[in-house]
Amino acid sequence: MTNHKNNIHQASFRDPSGYMFHDGKTLRRCINPIYFPQYKKLTESGFFKTLIDNGLLIPHVETSASEEKIVITPEEIPFITNPYEWSFEQFKHAALHTLKIQKYALSKGFILKDASAYNVTFHKGKPIFIDTLSFDFYEEGTPWRAYKQFITHFFGPLVLAKYHGTEVFKMLQTHIDGIPVKLIASMLPGKSKLSSTLFTNIHLLAKMESKHSEDYKAETKVAKLSKKAQNNILESLFDYIKKLEIKEASEWGDYYNKTNYETAAFQAKKELIKAWVAPLQPQKLIDVGGNDGTFARTVLDKVPHIIVTDIDSNAVDYNYKQIQQNKETNMLPFVCDVLQPAPGIGFNNTERSSLIERLQEYAPDVTMALALIHHITLSGNVPFEKSAEFFAKFSENLIIEFPTREDSWVVSLLVRKREFINHFDFYNEANFEAGYKKFFHLEKKEAVSGTKRVLYLFKKMK
Amino acid sequence: MNYFLYFDPGLGAMIVQAVVAVAAGVLLFSKNVMYKVKAFFGLLKKDDDTYDSIDIEEQDTDTHDQPQK
Repeated sequence: MTNHKNNIHQASFRDPSGYMFHDGKTLRRCINPIYFPQYKKLTESGFFKTLIDNGLLIPHVETSASEEKIVITPEEIPFITNPYEWSFEQFKHAALHTLKIQKYALSKGFILKDASAYNVTFHKGKPIFIDTLSFDFYEEGTPWRAYKQFITHFFGPLVLAKYHGTEVFKMLQTHIDGIPVKLIASMLPGKSKLSSTLFTNIHLLAKMESKHSEDYKAETKVAKLSKKAQNNILESLFDYIKKLEIKEASEWGDYYNKTNYETAAFQAKKELIKAWVAPLQPQKLIDVGGNDGTFARTVLDKVPHIIVTDIDSNAVDYNYKQIQQNKETNMLPFVCDVLQPAPGIGFNNTERSSLIERLQEYAPDVTMALALIHHITLSGNVPFEKSAEFFAKFSENLIIEFPTREDSWVVSLLVRKREFINHFDFYNEANFEAGYKKFFHLEKKEAVSGTKRVLYLFKKMK
Repeated sequence: MNYFLYFDPGLGAMIVQAVVAVAAGVLLFSKNVMYKVKAFFGLLKKDDDTYDSIDIEEQDTDTHDQPQK
């Protein structure tokens, strides 16, 4: 721990209260003396304990304490997802989670001093608050200082998603501190002004923000706000968000009802996957393009941690709902477009790491890519060698399904190329194998019975 | 503010909360009235969101000096 100053976590520099650092493989949190009074009160009053017992805050243990610093070690989270990778339901729950914590904090004489969406992530099937140092003392009569952040990080994006779909969450990639209130207001339809919640929390807020943006000397007096009034804000936002819904037609949501193969073939594919995954004894597995997690679920009882990504927010939503209903704790779904994975963003481009960096750190033992390669190759025009390079960056064992040219999906993708169809003559098993053999050894190959598809197992070259 | 400015809360956002709170108060009041009316006529619908309420079930905060479970 001697040279930990050099290992400070790249996302942890904004808050003077402390910082995260890597101590070998363990991530720990250092607390600076400026935050000692808060930390002590939060610990001694049992505030932390209640939040932790209720599964709201990431558990931590105190590792060391001196006059210069206190070091705590939070429970390890295998993989961090960012707000622009969440489905609607996940985003919604993260917002509700934040309000719930603020309301409780307020009742105990504390506040959340920030309401950044990055303070919440998903762990063991549920949202969890991960910034232990986000709490401060409540000062009687003061408005919630993180209110605006809550609007720009949570409320605004959710309301925009209602009108424009979950694509708007990707705007958070270019706005790390939330979507500006003025922009949110401008993107909402005029009728949104008729809702008292939207009018006050967004349109009026936008107006007030521009009106008071030139108060350089902080001269204007901040109005008082009673605790009861603040509770009303929190509760009405909670109610509103809880009722929010989106109407989005799914790209794949209904995929399994309109697949091109029979129930028997479906079952055959499941059996094959089970049989191939078991001997690899993976601790961590990722299913890229895994839809609602149907195939990942066949091995859920054998793998301690599973990630399922899909391009379709609705499929991820459906997966997330199943996780809640079945109370699954080892599955983590999130939205990912393989052709455009989340980049590294923020200060230095390192504040939030790119998807590839996070996957490399996660280092899954098994990567599954079922019914995906034809989309990457034919819809995305990515040559086999390039997609092999992508998978080789983070995969040890790769189980990949190759739909042949006779597969009805492939036929459909090819005819849509129209006069360019001849440009895609390279799409066949031989070229696929050749491309992947540049990065992997071919271990197994088997046709999925009842389909025009072939399942491959590749092992990465050392 | 007598504690340090960790980030700028936005002056407009601090002021607007007074108005937001009034609107929220009216809304919550009418919601409670509607709830009672609906309950009286047996019209309450079950919520299908898996996220529970804003309130935390407390065993409570002062449990640290009680025997562990």
